[in-house]
Amino acid sequence: MSPPVLVTSHLTKQYGTLTALDDLSLVLDRGHILGLIGPNGAGKTTTIRILAGQARPTRGSATIAGADCVRDARQIKRLVGYMPDVFGYYDNMRVQEYLDFFGAAFRMPRRQRAERIDAVMETAGCTDFRDRFLEVLSFGMKQRVGIARTLLHDPEILILDEPGTGLDPKARIEMRELLLRLAAMGKTLIVTSHILPELSRICDRVAILVRGRLRAFGTLEEILRTLSERSLVEVQLVSADRIDAAAALIRRHVGDDAQIAASPAEAIVRFRASQSDQDRANLLAALVAEGVGPSQFREVPMDLEDTFLSVMRREEASPAPAPSSARGSGGAP
Amino acid sequence: MNPVVQRELVGVLRTRKALAMQVGTALACMLPVLLRWPSEGRVGLSGARSQEVFSLFGYGLLTCLLALVPAVPAASFVREKSRGTLGLLFSTPMTSWSIYFGKLAGVFAFAMLFLAMSFPPAAACYAMGGISLTGDLLPLYALLTLAALQCCVLGLWVSVRASSTDGALRVTYGLVLLVGGIALLPDHFLRGTPHVRLAAAADWLRCLSPVAAVMEVLGHRDAISHGLVSTAGAALRHVLLSLGLTSLLALDTVLRLKQTKFDRPRPPGLMTDDRPASARRLRRLWFVVDPQRRKRAIGPLVNPVIVKEFRSRRFGRSHWMLRLVAACALVSLGLTYAATLGTIDWSVETIGAIMVMLQGALIVVVTPSLAAGLLSSEHETGSWSLLRMTPLSAGCILRGKLLSVIWPLFLILLATLPGYGVMIWIKPALTHQISYVIVCLVLAAVFSLIFSATVSSFFRRTAPATITAYGLLLAFYGGTMLFWLGRGAPFGPSLVEAALVANPLAAALTILEVSGFEQYRLVPANWWILSTATVACLAVLGVQTWRLTRPE
Repeated sequence: MSPPVLVTSHLTKQYGTLTALDDLSLVLDRGHILGLIGPNGAGKTTTIRILAGQARPTRGSATIAGADCVRDARQIKRLVGYMPDVFGYYDNMRVQEYLDFFGAAFRMPRRQRAERIDAVMETAGCTDFRDRFLEVLSFGMKQRVGIARTLLHDPEILILDEPGTGLDPKARIEMRELLLRLAAMGKTLIVTSHILPELSRICDRVAILVRGRLRAFGTLEEILRTLSERSLVEVQLVSADRIDAAAALIRRHVGDDAQIAASPAEAIVRFRASQSDQDRANLLAALVAEGVGPSQFREVPMDLEDTFLSVMRREEASPAPAPSSARGSGGAP
Repeated sequence: MNPVVQRELVGVLRTRKALAMQVGTALACMLPVLLRWPSEGRVGLSGARSQEVFSLFGYGLLTCLLALVPAVPAASFVREKSRGTLGLLFSTPMTSWSIYFGKLAGVFAFAMLFLAMSFPPAAACYAMGGISLTGDLLPLYALLTLAALQCCVLGLWVSVRASSTDGALRVTYGLVLLVGGIALLPDHFLRGTPHVRLAAAADWLRCLSPVAAVMEVLGHRDAISHGLVSTAGAALRHVLLSLGLTSLLALDTVLRLKQTKFDRPRPPGLMTDDRPASARRLRRLWFVVDPQRRKRAIGPLVNPVIVKEFRSRRFGRSHWMLRLVAACALVSLGLTYAATLGTIDWSVETIGAIMVMLQGALIVVVTPSLAAGLLSSEHETGSWSLLRMTPLSAGCILRGKLLSVIWPLFLILLATLPGYGVMIWIKPALTHQISYVIVCLVLAAVFSLIFSATVSSFFRRTAPATITAYGLLLAFYGGTMLFWLGRGAPFGPSLVEAALVANPLAAALTILEVSGFEQYRLVPANWWILSTATVACLAVLGVQTWRLTRPE
């Protein structure tokens, strides 16, 4: 097994009295795509700024491919390709000149640089607008140029802050394909985003941060398994007339904390419960026997959005749980 | 009430900078009055002391006004454009007129507030006696109000055309310098010559400057003439010309204030390499260094930051710099040629003085514009975090950035040297003096550059960095000259010399023994002071740059 590419240990960042990141410990193996999600102010950008060597942690440490993010700043610059949420551009510069400048800043020999620029523009799909000024590019084009710049020095790990924000659906799909292509090239990616369905399609690891603390880490399935103590069940009725009777029956079987929600317009009753398969079979039999008329009875699969909301609900219920650490195969701490 | 007025005025007043500007002005105006306030139980009935203070107070206030007021209107429209709020304003039922007058009223009210800070020292000056309310005080304030209006209208006129805040500031300050100072010069040279029509035109041009009008009100009918009496009525003519120019500029600004005029995206830019050969040749002829050509990859031995700076800046790109250098060379040679003709009563020293002043103006206008955005613009566009991610060290970044300004500045100064060459040829005895003058100018340029860059390192946006750099440099060069204006009375020679000793332009003028500067000895003290200040600024700049490249 290859050594992990990213290790953070008790990473904490405080700005005055505000704790932006609190005791974050996680391990990520090479070649994975980690989705870093959380509400605004959760500490995502702080985390990636520390990883990119742009911020110093108050406590704890972070290493990338064995290099300390603070002490080995020079090495980190070679190892990390960082794309911040703000596209840093220069006026009056064309795409080609922009990439040439960053290539030269990375001390790439002229010939090798030219070849590399062509290659990254091809990968990022910005060859068609290489002669355009940066300030006239659309948001999607700028994101592509940003990724091309990030790839220029062939970093081991790419840290992309909100690469999909502001993109139209077509550009978003293209961006998703691009990120998957990069992962296929063997790059490790850390991606933050608020567009959870997009993220769930590309990430094989997810870390959920809330108020600076790591609340869940692992594959989506692992997190779901940990969180799905109470799954969402949907009962579709033949007619909305018996919807109240159905709700009452479910309450009798499941209990008062079932969070039953009836939707007469759809003739659907939804509830949350941690039932065994046998309990569910009994409930279905009772619904049929009572003549409520169920036409469908199914468990609604959770996606990343549900997982996130579930974590948020837990967070609201218990505001200060103990910090934890996590490795590639984890779950909710 | 027009909502734009409220937003402009309240928005500006809420900033700490506005408070600092007002308090600074009040203190600066109070200082001469406090210094000259009678400490004895008796007061001179002639009121001479009061008039001395009043005249210094008037010039000081005008300098502060010209240095500080243009910054606010110059940034006004261009900032709205860059933030996208101008489009929002156009989508409201407000007309171009109401938007414009809202802006004008807002910035003008701020300027008036700024002027109002000088009322207490003005009242104290009046209380000292010897000054008439209707003959001195009210006309001075009327002219200052008009100057403030002129600055506001000029700033808005530039702002509506500019595409960047620093560009707007640069052009506005350049125009203020042109109208306020350089407009005085042609009259100085043409008065009394056989070219009657030209002299008359120059006389009217002089009246465009608020300085000429204020000089008349303060009783210095013509401080720079060689004993010739200028035609009276400069203040009245200034009022007429200023109001006319202000109205024209205001009208033009309103006509330009239409959404369609702004709703034009920048063309992506056709590469010269993709154009036909004839067009390529024509462009080469016109630009010399064609900005639209496909650039070569950055060389292995070149600091990439220099190349980046040259390629990305709007002002200071090669094709503009070459033109500026050519213009400087022409003006420099033209002035010296005029001296050699001898048809006008100009001595070589006078030509030297004019050249020093022009070069000083060039340094003050160009240097902050090039250097004040060196670090702040990186923060503003978000590119600093990208630059920090490269292996370039703080020293390498700083070297690249400073050299990108040193080169054009060096070329501009070099272009003005042929004039000095001709002067040496006319009067070889001046060789020694001229070499000293060149040292002073180089020191002035280097100090202005390092100082502006240091200011830049403390800001995260270019506009406030540029305004601060301009304000402080103008205060440094112009403020110390105010002491010279008050030489003899109210300031004694030792105080004037102490004030001028840091000013390299004053040092250059003393070396050339220009009239009024002969009695001071500023060199080598000036060189020591300026070199020390430059090294200190460079140290601060180095530490700041290093700190900015470190993890936060």
